[in-house]
Amino acid sequence: MAESVDPVVIAIVLIYLIAVVVIGYYSRIRMKSAMDYYVAGRRIGSVVNGLALESTYLSPASMLGLPAFVFLLGYPFWWAMMAIICGMPIAALLTASALRKYAPVSFADYYADRFGDERLRWWIGIIVIVGTVLYITLSLVGMALFMVAILKMPYIFALIIGTVITMFYVVYGGMIATSWNAAMQAIVMSFAAIIAAAAIVWQLGGFEGVYYAALQSYPKIWNTPADFPDHPHLFTSTWIAVICWFFVWHFGFATMPYTVVRFFTVMDMKTARRSIFWCSLVGGAFYVSLQIIGITAKYMIETSHPIAVAAGGNMTATAVLATIQKTYGIGTVTDYSMIAAVEALGNPVILGILCAGGLAIAMSTAAGWAVVVNTIIARDWFVKLLKWKKAEENPVLFGRIVAFIFLLISFFVAIQPPALVLDLSGWAFIVIICSLGPGLILGLWWKRATRAAMWVTAIVMFILSMVAWLRAHLVLGHHARFFLNDIIFGNPNALITPHQVWTIPVGFLLFVIVSLLTKPPEEERVNKYCIELTKEV
Amino acid sequence: MPWPPKVFWVGLLMIYGTAVLGWILESTVKIQKIPAAQIWYTAIWGTFLLPTLVSFIYFYFREKAEAKKAVEKKEVS
Repeated sequence: MAESVDPVVIAIVLIYLIAVVVIGYYSRIRMKSAMDYYVAGRRIGSVVNGLALESTYLSPASMLGLPAFVFLLGYPFWWAMMAIICGMPIAALLTASALRKYAPVSFADYYADRFGDERLRWWIGIIVIVGTVLYITLSLVGMALFMVAILKMPYIFALIIGTVITMFYVVYGGMIATSWNAAMQAIVMSFAAIIAAAAIVWQLGGFEGVYYAALQSYPKIWNTPADFPDHPHLFTSTWIAVICWFFVWHFGFATMPYTVVRFFTVMDMKTARRSIFWCSLVGGAFYVSLQIIGITAKYMIETSHPIAVAAGGNMTATAVLATIQKTYGIGTVTDYSMIAAVEALGNPVILGILCAGGLAIAMSTAAGWAVVVNTIIARDWFVKLLKWKKAEENPVLFGRIVAFIFLLISFFVAIQPPALVLDLSGWAFIVIICSLGPGLILGLWWKRATRAAMWVTAIVMFILSMVAWLRAHLVLGHHARFFLNDIIFGNPNALITPHQVWTIPVGFLLFVIVSLLTKPPEEERVNKYCIELTKEV
Repeated sequence: MPWPPKVFWVGLLMIYGTAVLGWILESTVKIQKIPAAQIWYTAIWGTFLLPTLVSFIYFYFREKAEAKKAVEKKEVS
């Protein structure tokens, strides 16, 4: 494999990194108070917030993982990608407007106030810390993977560069720098995917060309469960599986802390609702591009990738990806499917933009989690719970220290990431939805939601979802298998139901049952959170 | 009991209606086998235009209702 890197690719990546540093530096000048550090002074407009929402919410798991899923599972997985973007508008009226009206500072504020228990800040903080470490590690590894594969850089150097730059702007500029950088990063990553997909469509002669190219590389790729037994993959072999994939990540946008806190930063409710429009617009274009890249990756790699061409065109896409993975020694074989498909275009400008886009999507997610955790620990734990005077007097300094520590911990984990850590980031996403989501949504829309239900759901679903996920993953071989398949059906493949699909309904059900069995909340609290906040959302 | 505005349910109907209709057409007449058809209905419409349209109607109709209410309030006072 050629190890030389086109100077154009290096130049594009350098321009991107310089832009990140410059935005971080100038954001620091605008920062005057702790409120600026935590929630950007609630001055962020709809376009910037919409773009920031997109880049923060969509992690490297989107840019590397979803095209890889399409590559493996075929066309039916497109429905799951549609559902992720369609989950964005749902959040507008379900949580975003009401939470902006309430105007909290930290993710835990709402839970502590709505359920009248300051101690909830401890448990919510613990769940957020777990999510933060897993997600930042995933983002740092993803960031390094782009640099290793495209810039041919040693893994450790790539990791250091990515961590130091993210650390610089998050620690230095807080939420203001994170918001403006995330907006810029959304443009870079979306443009990268759009331009790569457009080049592929152009090369293949339009949408019909895309259809036939994908069909040629894998005759079952456009099949659905209706074509049984010629389905593209076991995991998309039944309609239950397709529907489960559809709902698997559908509700994350409304409840995940790194998106929810972005609604605290905007000027008003109107801006919160409008920002979701911009997020859906750019996020939708980004995802359509990923769908096209994913479905054509096999064809592009087999016909045009330099490794396949050097082998006389007789290598399968999987063999090419295995060769690439073996060369760099990080990630899994399919992690390289998107990069390899774009490499096959043989265009250094597009490859450079893709590398910048990969860094952008990873940095924005890492930064998004860092600002969530620094607010929860520095403000909620140190100031609100421990009443630590030094933290109260120097809120920004403590916020910076916390962000620094978490980026550093994640950096050390990322140096030699155990495979399980990266796998667990999939669980991290869902644990928050099933343990904290019911309290967030029902606390707003159901007067009967109680404190006991919040505690029980947060604790039980945290443990249950982890045990179930690990059991499916380690015992049955994949998290997409229902975790009791072998016990109930005696067959590990009996039900393909990614665990998110059942943990969310179970979390909501548990919350409702415990609420109905316990003492109703006080009238005053109900009026404030269920009537005033949800009125005219 | 608090209840989301009507437009919220319209958006949900559009999203889940598209998905269910797509699955029915795929399982009965195999619409996804028409060259490029699925790129139009799942990708361009379902992933790009539909969420954009739903998020547009969510802010547009809420803002229109708020403006109408403000005018009525002004007239009363």
